[in-house]
Amino acid sequence: MRSIQRLGNLSRHLFFAVIAVLMAFPFYWMVTSALKTNDEIWRSPPTLWPELPLWSNFAAAWNEAPFARYMGNSIFVATAIVLLQVVNSGMMAYALTHMKFRLKGLFAGVILFGYMVPSTAVYLPGYLVLSELHLLDSYAGLILSNCVSVFSIFLIRQAFLQVPHELVEAGEADGASHMRILWTLIMPITRSSFAVLALITFIDQYNNYFWPMLITKDPGLQLVSAGLRSFFVEGGAYGLKWPLIMAASAFTIAPLLLVFLLAQKTIMRSVNMTAGSNKG
Amino acid sequence: MTRSKWLGGLKPVLFTLPAMIPFVLFWLAPLLYVFYLSFTEWDFMSPEKTFVGLDNYIDLLRNPAFYQALRVTVLFCAGSVLPVILIGLGLALLMNRKLKGSMLYQVLLFSPWVTPTVAVSIVWSWIYEPEIGLANTVLGFLGLPPIGWLHDPQWALIGVLLVTIWKSVGWAMIFYLVALRNVPSDLLEAAELDGAGPFQKFMRVTLPLISPTTLFLFIVQIIGALQAYDQINVLTQGGPSGSTRTLLYMYYQSAFESFQIGEASSVAMVLVFICMLLSVLSLNISKRTTHYH
Repeated sequence: MRSIQRLGNLSRHLFFAVIAVLMAFPFYWMVTSALKTNDEIWRSPPTLWPELPLWSNFAAAWNEAPFARYMGNSIFVATAIVLLQVVNSGMMAYALTHMKFRLKGLFAGVILFGYMVPSTAVYLPGYLVLSELHLLDSYAGLILSNCVSVFSIFLIRQAFLQVPHELVEAGEADGASHMRILWTLIMPITRSSFAVLALITFIDQYNNYFWPMLITKDPGLQLVSAGLRSFFVEGGAYGLKWPLIMAASAFTIAPLLLVFLLAQKTIMRSVNMTAGSNKG
Repeated sequence: MTRSKWLGGLKPVLFTLPAMIPFVLFWLAPLLYVFYLSFTEWDFMSPEKTFVGLDNYIDLLRNPAFYQALRVTVLFCAGSVLPVILIGLGLALLMNRKLKGSMLYQVLLFSPWVTPTVAVSIVWSWIYEPEIGLANTVLGFLGLPPIGWLHDPQWALIGVLLVTIWKSVGWAMIFYLVALRNVPSDLLEAAELDGAGPFQKFMRVTLPLISPTTLFLFIVQIIGALQAYDQINVLTQGGPSGSTRTLLYMYYQSAFESFQIGEASSVAMVLVFICMLLSVLSLNISKRTTHYH
């Protein structure tokens, strides 16, 4: 019996090892392709590992387009959005869960409605609104137009629902303002939800492509996805400099894989919370 | 009303403003605006928007490109959502029983989900390269003819779908792992005592208990698939001959490439309508049939 179980475990290990290798193979292929010379990359059949790894391809790709700028833009915009969403989701969720006011039902309904509307469908009118506000082609536009997220509000609201209202009342009895209660009493006990919000939002915004591309024309304002895409299409790179394109893709992806490896527990825990925030 | 009472009523509203102002400005107002624009004809440039009533919608219903986009959208949704859910569930079931080191597999399978779609789509377009790309090389080793992964209208949608499935299958697996862990083992044991085999246990106990997760994944994935843009933009740009042009891509092209704002807006409203229908449907289903414990 035990040996059958061991055989079962072995075959399951084998199965998952194959699947995992298949799933990770595109990443491996990206890195090895980035290390090949232009001659070697067109050789058939392809080599699994380059004869002479050309590490200088990474530097060459990095210098061929302003990638430092693109990445800086992505990190700056994503960080600013995270900070704003922490503040406005926290305040909104606090009002919805621990304050009484007449318009509460209406506001909650409007937010729920926002959950149902596909954001991409409002890109055209959103663009027109941004142009009226003179926010096209600006960091302010990139940040403000993404500074509220229905998902984030739901996530924090779900966490705040678990906080007993007595805690808020005790704080009020001590003469603390609502701001103090929110940020010094409630936030510390719900910090894991805030951590999930911050990580998921950062990843989403760092990766964001469609909307930032629509609202910026200035190459100096491009986020990393748009910058990588223009390097891929323009600059004579299309299909001619595959090693450099793969190198550029690699250093675009690398920071995210790093963040993921460092924070995998929190990111995977987000699954628990997203499933929960949908039910509520 | 005394001043302090009035202020007391105002404070909660102040707390909602940092979220509500951008929400109204960048979500609600644009939504109403696109609804209005769908009844007009406009080209972005001219100062006048002409009111044309339902003409845009009527034109849309007469436009074969709309039906093609609708068909591609349905195929794209079904072709990405069903495999992601089925494979995700299958992998989770296999992993659910104790397996040492399964954390490593989880991390590897989950990692594509974190990475930027644009960057990984570029990697995939290299894999799909017609002459010496990895995909056709592997087919060659197996003695199969090469495929025009992104250039053949028969295959392009499948090429885009493979990337889409690759990206989210590990994500769905993690959702199911969490759900499976929450299935109470005493229920499974009780079923076993009643003489249920593994298949019956799965159909009668496990599947109903994880149905909220299935429903959640289903809705989130469909709404995501309806809005898929990045991979289509990098891999095929809606081509060849419209074989990967979804409703969203049609919307984007008529708005920002051919500047037919009225047509674009009516397509947007169709998308909004489909999403709202799905959301309302899912709320109703989850109230009626899913099992909570």
